[in-house]
Amino acid sequence: MSQWMTLFQKEILEMWRNFKWIWVPITFILLGVSEPLTSYYLPQIIKSFGGLPEGSIIDIPPPTAGAVLASGLSQYSTLGVLIIVLGTMGVIAGERKSGVAAMILVKPVSYLSYISSKWAGSLLLVWFSLFIGYLSTWYYTGQLFDWIPIGEFFQSFVLFGLWLTVVLTVTIFFSAALLTPGMAGFISLAIALVLSIISGALSHLLEWSPSQLAGYASALLTVGELPDDTLPASLVAILLIVILLWLSVFLFKKKELAS
Amino acid sequence: MELLEGISWGLIAPIFFIQLILVIVSLVDLSRIEKTNGPKLLWVFIIVIVNIIGPILYFVIGRRNN
Amino acid sequence: MSLIQIKGLKKNFQGNEVIKGLDFKLEKGKCIALLGPNGAGKTTTLRMLSGLMKPTAGIISFSGAKKDGDIRHLIGYLPQFPVFYDWMSGFEFLQYVGKLGGLTGKEAKERSLELLELVGISDAKNRRVGKYSGGMKQRLGIAQAIIHRPQLVMLDEPVSALDPFGRREVLELLEGLKKETTILFSTHILNDAEEVCDEILFLHNGEIVESGTMEDLRERHQQAKIDLIFRKKTVEMGNTLKNHALTKSILIEGNRISVFVTNIELARKEFLKLISEKDWQLDKFEMSSMTLEDVFMKVVGK
Repeated sequence: MSQWMTLFQKEILEMWRNFKWIWVPITFILLGVSEPLTSYYLPQIIKSFGGLPEGSIIDIPPPTAGAVLASGLSQYSTLGVLIIVLGTMGVIAGERKSGVAAMILVKPVSYLSYISSKWAGSLLLVWFSLFIGYLSTWYYTGQLFDWIPIGEFFQSFVLFGLWLTVVLTVTIFFSAALLTPGMAGFISLAIALVLSIISGALSHLLEWSPSQLAGYASALLTVGELPDDTLPASLVAILLIVILLWLSVFLFKKKELAS
Repeated sequence: MELLEGISWGLIAPIFFIQLILVIVSLVDLSRIEKTNGPKLLWVFIIVIVNIIGPILYFVIGRRNN
Repeated sequence: MSLIQIKGLKKNFQGNEVIKGLDFKLEKGKCIALLGPNGAGKTTTLRMLSGLMKPTAGIISFSGAKKDGDIRHLIGYLPQFPVFYDWMSGFEFLQYVGKLGGLTGKEAKERSLELLELVGISDAKNRRVGKYSGGMKQRLGIAQAIIHRPQLVMLDEPVSALDPFGRREVLELLEGLKKETTILFSTHILNDAEEVCDEILFLHNGEIVESGTMEDLRERHQQAKIDLIFRKKTVEMGNTLKNHALTKSILIEGNRISVFVTNIELARKEFLKLISEKDWQLDKFEMSSMTLEDVFMKVVGK
């Protein structure tokens, strides 16, 4: 356990030194908050600068607070996912490639600890950034539109966080299995994309797919209640995370650290 | 004028502020880091000129890890 | 007592047999040099011993290995080009690695300071490793290899990348280290091996072509040789010595005549007598056996 803490603390410290603790949360704040701000001010901006012909009526119905907050989440589904994948793809593959992994793992370090500490470090960063960003989005939405009940906020936060955790774990898995950061990032993004598209198109068949979690979180905000399949989808997500982590360790252990 | 009056500066100011932090932090990191992907000077311009996206691009792409 | 036994160790890379079956033992408390020209397979051998690479065939048995075959608590390893976390300071890295090696926080701190002193980079301990020079990284590399007091320290070309001063200091460091632990280090420079080690494993084209202690090797390859340097060399001298009963072979370079003889003691008397009889003007008379350098060249050449 103390060895795991040593590894974990190193991850946390590294993210301080390369400013991840600052720029990732800030990015999440900016991404999220841009939604309520543009939805609120855009009609006004169009009105002042639009130069629309005399007499034309702009009738953009103001979106509901739930829809605004949900569109904040959709920012995280695209750009947020991109940042997470690009920021995580190198955590194992990069260390393997540079040779520092060999320096560390030639010490009596457990492979499970090595990989799980990196996973946990990234996980903490993702949840922290999502929380800060999403909370700001919720606050801005409340200020400019309506207040979403805090319970709904938290529920959608946890569901969405779970989906991001799946994305993160897939990235860690490929980082451990493929050994080249670029390839790991590319495949992880492709998988996240394909999963979202497929389960969007076949949503009635794949209600339990973890990629539905993002949709279920927005459904909670727009419709006001959770779809029935939230629980199975969450359980599948957790199962998938555990399996992928275990497989990462298994595959990484089989690789030679030097070549 | 009407537009400016309609803006709540209490909400906008913090955004400008953290954006500024992002720019400063990325410039500090850029000055400390040994090598970047592509010329350093180019990144200075990207960070300063390209609003919001510039610093993020720097951290995601420009920063060479290990 | 032997610390490791290696039997039939082989490694293939894409069908090429890089290591062709090594058999050797390492005794506890010895310093062994793995000597060989570039491309002999030294790095591959060390990587297999440290567990970073899996052998294609063969057995490596460590005394003290864990049940699942894990030997990492027993060894310290320095790769040829050590890599660190550039954003850590040397002191931080040592403490980190020390804790991973099983030291408590306090022990790791004390041991790190001690080792920084020992390898001579205390002044730079709080500087980021990214700013270290090649020599400093090598020293930090040695420190990290021994921080958890392993039973066997394996160093891959620890001095090759260093300037003459650095080389000297690191070799002296190894000399001191010999008292604490077993050392296996690879090098392509015979002098380095000769200087600190008791034993040599000559590796050539993936095979051990010669091994043993320094004395063993010298004895085994001893060739009696008498070097004569004359003020003025004549053809007569060459012919007389060449046809002498004790001469095996002869090598003439300018004023120097090297005579390989069957019995060096007898040859000494006979040659000195001959020289004074003929009144040859002798500048230098030297008896010698083969140097290890000669052995090295001979072994590699065959």
